[in-house]
Amino acid sequence: MRIELNARNRGLQFDARSGEPLLYAGLRAGHELPYECGTGTCGTCKARLVSGSVRDAWPQAPGRAHLKPGQNEVLLCQCIAEGNSTFEVSAFVKAADPGACTPDAFAGVLRNARTLTQDVLAFRVELDEPRDFDAGQFVVMAAPGIDGFRAYSMVNFERGARRLEFVVKKKPGGGFSELLFDGARDGMPLALFGPLGKATFYPAIGKNILCIAGGSGIAGMMSILSRAEQEKYFARHRGWVYFGVRTMSDAFFLDELSALRARFPERLAVTVALSDEAVPAAARDWPKLSFARGLVHEVAKRTMAGNYQNVRAYVAGPPPAVDAALRVLLLDAKLTADNICYDKFS
Amino acid sequence: MSKKLVCRVAEVPAKGIKEFEVEGGLRLLVANSGGEYFGYQAICPHQEVRLCEGLYDGSVLTCHMHLWQWDIRTGAPIGLAEAPLEKFALMVEDDSIYFRGQSSALDVGELFHGLAQQTTEKLAALAQREAHEAGSVLYRPGDPAEDFYVLDSGRVEFLIGRDDRTSPGGFMLKKGEIFGWAALLDGQPSRIASARCLERSELLRMNGRAALGVLESDPLAGFQVMRRLSALIARYLASSGAK
Repeated sequence: MRIELNARNRGLQFDARSGEPLLYAGLRAGHELPYECGTGTCGTCKARLVSGSVRDAWPQAPGRAHLKPGQNEVLLCQCIAEGNSTFEVSAFVKAADPGACTPDAFAGVLRNARTLTQDVLAFRVELDEPRDFDAGQFVVMAAPGIDGFRAYSMVNFERGARRLEFVVKKKPGGGFSELLFDGARDGMPLALFGPLGKATFYPAIGKNILCIAGGSGIAGMMSILSRAEQEKYFARHRGWVYFGVRTMSDAFFLDELSALRARFPERLAVTVALSDEAVPAAARDWPKLSFARGLVHEVAKRTMAGNYQNVRAYVAGPPPAVDAALRVLLLDAKLTADNICYDKFS
Repeated sequence: MSKKLVCRVAEVPAKGIKEFEVEGGLRLLVANSGGEYFGYQAICPHQEVRLCEGLYDGSVLTCHMHLWQWDIRTGAPIGLAEAPLEKFALMVEDDSIYFRGQSSALDVGELFHGLAQQTTEKLAALAQREAHEAGSVLYRPGDPAEDFYVLDSGRVEFLIGRDDRTSPGGFMLKKGEIFGWAALLDGQPSRIASARCLERSELLRMNGRAALGVLESDPLAGFQVMRRLSALIARYLASSGAK
């Protein structure tokens, strides 16, 4: 199908595959269409259908609350063309940066799902073809029998990756996460699209890095830390990692974070913030890590003061945690906006 | 213009921002900066996000969605922001804040905001206000590019190519957006796209040469305008045709 899209600054054309959401078709063609979540929640990818016939993959998508009724508005991430169609987008659409990893659709197989805590599990997707992505990016994926795509950040980092590692938090009623927790799904085929997201780390930034993550938001930070470790980034620059969870039993990746800290004891600091309990005696099992009681943005605010020169901050987690951290970084730390990186995809 | 009641002073606390609707339906954001009150458009010029949900420290306003920021005293963009905020004139009488009127398209325009008042007045004197009905064509490819336009209200669409072999080239819909800017450039004597009003549109039409003359008399303003024009053109560089 031929799709024409008139954006504020230009008209563009691209082809969509049968059944393919138009957001993905446009991104695949190298157009930086507006999006945040890519999965029907945020409403950022809204467009107006000018002509043609389309189908809505998810009529109940929460992002539809951002659409004006009676205006033929659609969410491009849920919109599937049934023939040649024309749209209008009230945004400036640039061509993708030539250095960026162009997103595309690809296939993988679920492997090695394992629980990390009572409501977090890790899994791997083994790929048919090697894929490139940047540290901090995410992909969306769909499982057979479950409608729609879910977004997950990669935990690992490598070029030409043949496996992608993820963590997922169990959400009651969340079809995909329950499917994973159900077990016995090893080998299940998955449809993926990506990589997506702009909250990326690359060593050329040459700044100290601050990572503030709540819960499973630590996933993308692990990818960033992995890339930094591979490039021995913390031999030259400082790093601070703040990982917020409710209680000690909700924490994970502590062995991995300890090992990282052991490699760069001078310039890397890792603090686990416990919001719902005082730091228990068990914290002594991780002597390389610091523990503190409080919400993660509060702990970061208390202990980062005076360290904000030449800092690039990465933030991820549940939306209230992200908003609270942004508030600290802008109003207290006085970081400039271009040094605060996050993707609002939950 | 007659003043309209916005709110009581006490409703906007120190370092506070709040959204209000005035008679006639206009929504605006009121910010308290050290006891002075500033009024702005209620919605972020980037995407449709309410600015009252943003972050504000008494001097800089930040939209929480993509961290666009503005100087609260002027509405001038800071950092990532690519557009100024439209400022609304307010006045305080007794314990109430009143709305006195909207800024002109020139003042909120992406090229001319925040220039010295004398220069702004000279530019404003060059502007002819025109109203065009839906369907009017402002120019076609090959027409001389002598004037440029600042959109005040309505919507203008661009088509690249001629006759029935045309493709869309974007559209303008925000107050203060500028088009036909080839009139400000050397060596661009004619239009390469057509511009058509999709709905009734009000425009400020200005002669490019005359505007450059004004800017030559205020080189600082000229430098600012040329910097902004370069940034504007860069936004269109990836396109298959420019305006």
